Amino acid sequence: MAKILIIEDDTFLQGLETAKLQKYGHTVVTASSGEEGMEKINELGLELVLLDLVLPKFDGFEILKKIRETEAIKALPVLVFSNLSEDADVKKAESLGATDFMVKSNFTLDELAEKIKSLIK
Amino acid sequence: MNTTEEFDALKKENENLKNSIAVKSDLISISAHQLRTSLSALKWIFRMFLDKEVGSITSEQDGLLQKAYQSNERMITLVNDMLTLSHVEDSALKFKMEEVDILNLTEETLFEFSGETHKKNIEIIFIKPSEAIPLVTCDKEMVRVVLQNLIENAIKYSVSGDKVFCSLHNKENSLEISIRDTGIGIPKEEQESIFNKFFRAANAKAKEEIGSGLGLYTVKNIVEHHKGKIWFESSSEGTTFFVVLPIK
Repeated sequence: MAKILIIEDDTFLQGLETAKLQKYGHTVVTASSGEEGMEKINELGLELVLLDLVLPKFDGFEILKKIRETEAIKALPVLVFSNLSEDADVKKAESLGATDFMVKSNFTLDELAEKIKSLIK
Repeated sequence: MNTTEEFDALKKENENLKNSIAVKSDLISISAHQLRTSLSALKWIFRMFLDKEVGSITSEQDGLLQKAYQSNERMITLVNDMLTLSHVEDSALKFKMEEVDILNLTEETLFEFSGETHKKNIEIIFIKPSEAIPLVTCDKEMVRVVLQNLIENAIKYSVSGDKVFCSLHNKENSLEISIRDTGIGIPKEEQESIFNKFFRAANAKAKEEIGSGLGLYTVKNIVEHHKGKIWFESSSEGTTFFVVLPIK
């Protein structure tokens, strides 16, 4: 059981992700834009961030960079969950310190929940 | 036109072509992203119904939802394969050639499939060469795509209890990779079409295995860009794919 921040601008997908993770016993905090995401990464007690990349205002890469530059949260596991999959995007996310990268359409929500379980210590 | 004018005209034409290729790949990657968003939503919703998370369903409804889920999975595979192909075609002129340890790359790729083989109860046997294998000058990520596709196919057309054999052989100035399965084989009359874009053999379609018909086309494309060769031998007892890559 962990406190997870989902940053996802598609509110329908966000709702499905939230329901599934709550079912696994997690507490979920959501952000629907890059701007909201930037604020909520500082929320106390987060144990993982599920991060989309294509977002309005600030994109996922900027948020990831911010997390890794902020002393208090720089070790937070960040699971990038996006429908981008080009080498350049994956490499960029890796170089900015993403913990893992999953392409949304290739996984079920249960597989996502299992991955999250493996990333939370 | 004099030579300078001709040169300028060709240069301009070349620029135009480069721009239109860039527009095409942007279009593919933007549409793929949008398509995947809808496909993810459908996948997750069908899954919820199938897992009875939103209430019980009749066996007829279950059957229909299974069909819908599989059909959606086919679309996801198509998008994935289209993106890979577009990436291969874009990169063909700028392959990142480096010296690659194919033995290591094969082991890495086989490891990626360990979950899948475990689930299907298929054993992969990697017959490692007794002699040292030379480094091969190639684009590592592209050769990984070749191995992934061939191994994935071998697993896909095998059934529980089957074995898939993978081996490497030193040839004169080249390295031969072979991947053998004991699966359904490729029907004789369809063998010549197997590398065609969007082609899928009748027995593969009948088995309802998901595939876009782009995998082997992409693989052949990559092998040929490396000045290598690809062929296969197939009977009703299985198929072996051979890839030969020049060392330098």
